[in-house]
Amino acid sequence: MATLMQSLKRSTPAWLTGRRLVIGLPYAWFLILAFLPVLIVLKISLSEMQTTAVSGMVSWQGAWPSIKLDVSSYLFLASDELYLATYLSSISYAFYTTVLCLGLGYPFAYFMARAPKHWQALLLMLIMLPFWTSFLLRIYAWKTLLVNNGLINNALLAIGWIDSPIEMLNTPFSLMIGMVYSYLPFMILPLYANLSKLDGRYLEAAADLGCHPFKTFWLITVPLSKAGIVAGCMLVFIPAVGEYVIPELLGGPNTLMIGRVLWDEFFSNNDWPMAGAVTIVMLLLIMLPLAIYNKLQSEGRA
Amino acid sequence: MENASKSPLANEPLLRIEGVSKIYDGHIKAVDQVTLNVASGEIFALLGGSGCGKSTLLRMLAGFETPSQGRIYLGGTDITELPAYQRPINMMFQSYALFPHLSVSDNIAFGLRRDGMAKEAIAERVEAMLKLVQLSQYAKRKPHQLSGGQQQRVALARSIAKQPKLLLLDEPLGALDKKLRVSTQIELVNIIEEVGVTCVLVTHDQEEAMTMATRMAVMSAGSFLQVGSPKAIYQQPNSRQVADFIGSVNIFDGPVKENHTNYVLVQCADALLRVPHSQPCQDGMGVGVAIRPEKMALSRKKPSAKVNHVAGVVVEMAYFGAHTSYHVKLASGKVLQVQVQSHADEDNADLCWGDQVYASWADNAMVLLTQ
Repeated sequence: MATLMQSLKRSTPAWLTGRRLVIGLPYAWFLILAFLPVLIVLKISLSEMQTTAVSGMVSWQGAWPSIKLDVSSYLFLASDELYLATYLSSISYAFYTTVLCLGLGYPFAYFMARAPKHWQALLLMLIMLPFWTSFLLRIYAWKTLLVNNGLINNALLAIGWIDSPIEMLNTPFSLMIGMVYSYLPFMILPLYANLSKLDGRYLEAAADLGCHPFKTFWLITVPLSKAGIVAGCMLVFIPAVGEYVIPELLGGPNTLMIGRVLWDEFFSNNDWPMAGAVTIVMLLLIMLPLAIYNKLQSEGRA
Repeated sequence: MENASKSPLANEPLLRIEGVSKIYDGHIKAVDQVTLNVASGEIFALLGGSGCGKSTLLRMLAGFETPSQGRIYLGGTDITELPAYQRPINMMFQSYALFPHLSVSDNIAFGLRRDGMAKEAIAERVEAMLKLVQLSQYAKRKPHQLSGGQQQRVALARSIAKQPKLLLLDEPLGALDKKLRVSTQIELVNIIEEVGVTCVLVTHDQEEAMTMATRMAVMSAGSFLQVGSPKAIYQQPNSRQVADFIGSVNIFDGPVKENHTNYVLVQCADALLRVPHSQPCQDGMGVGVAIRPEKMALSRKKPSAKVNHVAGVVVEMAYFGAHTSYHVKLASGKVLQVQVQSHADEDNADLCWGDQVYASWADNAMVLLTQ
């Protein structure tokens, strides 16, 4: 057996050890499917638009390559206030979505984590259940619920609480409903994973030292679940900023979100460099604060 | 009913447990009708194997569990229904439960802050506690940056910072390695005595209970087998189970042959034993006779007395420095444990495997076990 292992070791090339393979696969995945596309988008954003495609960045003048960078898209982005307003509005919608998801998701995850074991599996399945239906269908379903002659308005009219239908669809309200509804599971799951591991002895120790259960929640449970809160907020906030489908279907014309601007630049204006620039700036807006946060975290721990 | 000249609390023990039971799922008795008084200043140990109910009893004192029956009084006040956060009782948890996100000094200050103490007073008290457990220079560290022994001392400081009326210790040394445990035992007792707090501690380690406690209870299946000082329990175990649990012991079984006023004769397979009377018994009744290994002597010569010695062959011996431990196999197949002090007897200095020996002991080395 030992000799077999040794001969195997000798016959495989040095770089192809199992360890490198295991580490290398996800890195390769990331490079090809995440990093490379971002580079391509960056390249597009710095190019000039021709009728059906973007211009090549490198042209050859004899033996010398000449690289042409066109930053006009970025300049336009900076000069037009609509873009800034859209970014801010996207971020604030994403922010409110995150806060609402946290507010609704934390208690849910908390009681789920403390429910009897056999209930936990059932509750977990209920959280996952919506994923079995297409995301798009679920958003359309909300449309039929919220529309003027939809289920909710009809029900309210029937009880006589309202005289005329409430305008709910295509407002910021319907947008927020759709966003919170769609992203809530992404808040609950990491919180549940974190809270279910919380050692009950910490809560007992706090009670033992004279801490009221309500105060224990803020002094012990919340700080100890910080990792879950951070993970949940990131999982909600980041995709929410760039959300396109929900504002398109539920948001109406007045809800500015960067995802729709992207769509317009690509498909209506056919301005790929502009769309690329909008994307790159959005990426930076999200990634920079995260990077700073991570750095502060790791420094705080050391 | 109280004597008018005396305060009603004059004879009241600090802790009074009255017929307390804890029943799970309607029929599993974790703690069964326990009654106990602990006087102020005592260090009381609950000793027993896992699942004997000692931890459940401790958790009921802390307020984490509610007794199914019975009452608990602290200083004369009924605290049975009082929630944990209102009891003047603090607990040092098994594996400590130090708050991982708080520094050492914040951990110690946690309970004081809940009392609404002034900031300066808290700082002063925390400092005094840190000094008491010799951790002043670690005040700013997080628990995970400390060694196990240091964490144990932080846990102790945190549990006595509020000057509780009663301190509960749940396996206080269970998470430490053996060598550290011995030195920590003494340190822990010194600190507890310096503070003067009454203690109830739970342990499965009989050595720990014996070195730390002033009084102890041996628990099994939810109830007390015997309550008394470590010495009394060691010297006079009241049952086979207690004798077996506390230290090592040799037990001879046999029927009572003759029942006299101050002694009984017990006929065992290997010898006739003459045991001083301590329990009521009748002729023919099956009893056990317990003898501690260190109370036996070994000799090559046959003792002159007719009773209280057995013959056997040395099958195992181990030298421990201060004493030597022998296993002696008797004719019946029973193996005796005998401990001989190293300087005790020149006669057996050269005892060896396979040697024919006689083990003998004094009358008062034996304890008659009727249950």
